[in-house]
Amino acid sequence: MYARLLSNRYLTSRLIPLIAIGAVALCVAMVVTVVSVMTGFLDLLRGAGRSIVGDVIVSSGIGGMPHYDELIARIDALPECHKATPVIDTFGLLRMPYPRGPEKEIVTTQVWAIEPLSFAEVTEYADNLYWRRPVDDAARAAMQPDDPRLDINPAWLQDGFTLVESATGRPGVAIGMHVSVANERQSDGSYRPRYGWSMPGRDVTLTLVPVSSRGKIAEPREEAFPIVNEVQSGVYEVDKNRIFAPLAVVQRMLRMDRAPLYDITADPGPDGQLPVIGETPARVTKILARAKPGVTPAALRDAIERTYREFSLEVDANRSLTTKMPQIVSVLTWEQQLRDLIAPVQKEREMMRILFSLIYIVCAGLILSIFWAIVIEKTRDIGILRSVGASRRGILWIFLRYGLVIGIFGSAIGVALAWLIVTRINDIHSAIGSDAPAAVWIGTYALAAGALCGVVWQAVRGRLLPLLLWTLATLIFMVAGTGLLFHRGTLIWDPSVYYFSRIPSQVDWWTAGLTVIGAVVFSVIGAAIPAARAADTDPVEALRYG
Amino acid sequence: MGDRPRILEARNVHKTYRFGAVPVEVLRGADLSVHAGEWVAILGSSGSGKSTLLHLLGGLDRPDRGRGEILWRGESISIAPGRRIDRYRNRDVGFVFQFYHLLPELDTLDNVLLPTMVGRWMRPDPAPARSLLESFGLAHRLHHRPAQLSGGERQRAAIARALVRGPQVLLADEPTGNLDAVTGGSILDLLAERHRSGLTIVMVTHDAQVAARADRIVQLRDGQVQA
Repeated sequence: MYARLLSNRYLTSRLIPLIAIGAVALCVAMVVTVVSVMTGFLDLLRGAGRSIVGDVIVSSGIGGMPHYDELIARIDALPECHKATPVIDTFGLLRMPYPRGPEKEIVTTQVWAIEPLSFAEVTEYADNLYWRRPVDDAARAAMQPDDPRLDINPAWLQDGFTLVESATGRPGVAIGMHVSVANERQSDGSYRPRYGWSMPGRDVTLTLVPVSSRGKIAEPREEAFPIVNEVQSGVYEVDKNRIFAPLAVVQRMLRMDRAPLYDITADPGPDGQLPVIGETPARVTKILARAKPGVTPAALRDAIERTYREFSLEVDANRSLTTKMPQIVSVLTWEQQLRDLIAPVQKEREMMRILFSLIYIVCAGLILSIFWAIVIEKTRDIGILRSVGASRRGILWIFLRYGLVIGIFGSAIGVALAWLIVTRINDIHSAIGSDAPAAVWIGTYALAAGALCGVVWQAVRGRLLPLLLWTLATLIFMVAGTGLLFHRGTLIWDPSVYYFSRIPSQVDWWTAGLTVIGAVVFSVIGAAIPAARAADTDPVEALRYG
Repeated sequence: MGDRPRILEARNVHKTYRFGAVPVEVLRGADLSVHAGEWVAILGSSGSGKSTLLHLLGGLDRPDRGRGEILWRGESISIAPGRRIDRYRNRDVGFVFQFYHLLPELDTLDNVLLPTMVGRWMRPDPAPARSLLESFGLAHRLHHRPAQLSGGERQRAAIARALVRGPQVLLADEPTGNLDAVTGGSILDLLAERHRSGLTIVMVTHDAQVAARADRIVQLRDGQVQA
């Protein structure tokens, strides 16, 4: 009982334990904050990857896969598969509708030609369409009063679903939110039209370059499309580069659509045409598939691989089919597809965990030195306790318990601090990214002035330590005020580097739990050496010289 | 004292301290027998080894290996395991020191309760400590810290702490050494009152007048007890 009483008293009657608690709290907060952001980043990558490409991706070379509709029918019939959808993945030039005048901006884009209805079943394309009116009063209330989505053409959402401009019946394109410069991101995550430009309804011109399976480039083809909606996947790289166009249109532009096959060895007929000996089927470069609930992407991938092999053999055996399936295709899960992106981040996170774990050693060293000083200071108390019958184990426990309490309190405060930082990290980032309000730096200067009064007062009293502390406070507030005065906004989280436009703001509770355990263990380890020294203290020496 | 049993004995006790590489033999075969209910004063000059003998008698220290022993009711506590000696210090003897040695973080009541907290998980009943302090005239000082007490009050609190578990022997090391004559006298009166109730006291002092309050005075000279 005395161990509890004394360690509590030592804890509450002194400043030094508070410093130790503060050190543990800062270490824990730092580790939990950094690893939480990195874990959130990984989760975003994973979540976004799956929402953008589905569970399994079948990719062929530039020549594409023929007979894809039959293959997709086979994949759709698999018990593991929810839905499969064809895609052509190519590059193109997009002539934007701005600026005014004949010279328009041209951007290079990644073009995904899709069948929107099946594509929306495999990916979260439909949910990612940005321009949509609020569905109910609650959604309306959640928006800012000047959010342009409150008053948009209700047809835009449907047009985005179908990639057809309903007013004219023309095929349209949906472009990533950052493909154009027209969308200015606000701190609440919504967008406002920059320069008053709004993209839906405007025409863009898409230029595609057909490439044969032998790599031969044909005459580029261009076509004008209305922008029917914009897509916000949350992955900056995708939103910056990708546009979605109707599959049939892109197949035609790239000459990947169904076409007659001529016999080039025969002489032309009376009409000057070569005889037709068959038909080349339409092709796509990718097939995306989503697994049924409860089926792992790996299980679906294996099933698709088997299906593709069987299908390919059947096509090869069918002499009536003139076009064979490509021999080399890759069938990957979304995680494998994004491996190059995810693996380095995973490694970085583990590296961070290891590097930041070294902080524990610093923490343990700090507690060790603080406790060593406390044990020396409390030597006489140790002698007194031994004289009333306290055992060496009891003395050991006083200081181990002391370390334990510091570890628990420090890590609890650290986790709370990390939670505050992580959940408000985007607000903090916005504050750092903008100029400090005048009230803030004036307030800081006011604090400096107050601290200066303290300096004068302590100088009059002639007390050296308070004088030093007030002087330090004055200097800190002066430097902070000046820093805030000249602060001109710093972009730390650059979306073009980190893929996402928002910083992950979820605490990684698993890491937080491990960090708390680590902090408590290292606090006890730090306390153990001074505690053992205390237990070994000769009571006679302690009473005589303590 | 011949009819009273010996409860505490030092037999041919040697104790050597090392100051760096220099061994200093403080006790050279000291013998002492303390009978139940006796008040023995150990008189000696400064550095004669009287505090060392008291620490050995109280189990705070052990004699040199194989050179003498301390017997408590015939049981050698010099070779007893640590847990037995801890229990001996906690229950059988109580210490009073010249400089009081109260814990500054605890109030008077908790300081006195300290021996009763040893080996317990729950807070002990404060009633015995409270009544002891009241009988020592410290009823109004229960929740004062040692720094808020006078020297005499501190020593009375220290005696209360030594007696709270009802030990049979009180070991007092210069209990009046840090007090003025009047206050010192009152502390000796308090000890005398407890002695009359049957408490055995072994007191170390360099002051012959203080020693005169005891039943028996022994001199410690050249590391040996001289009756």
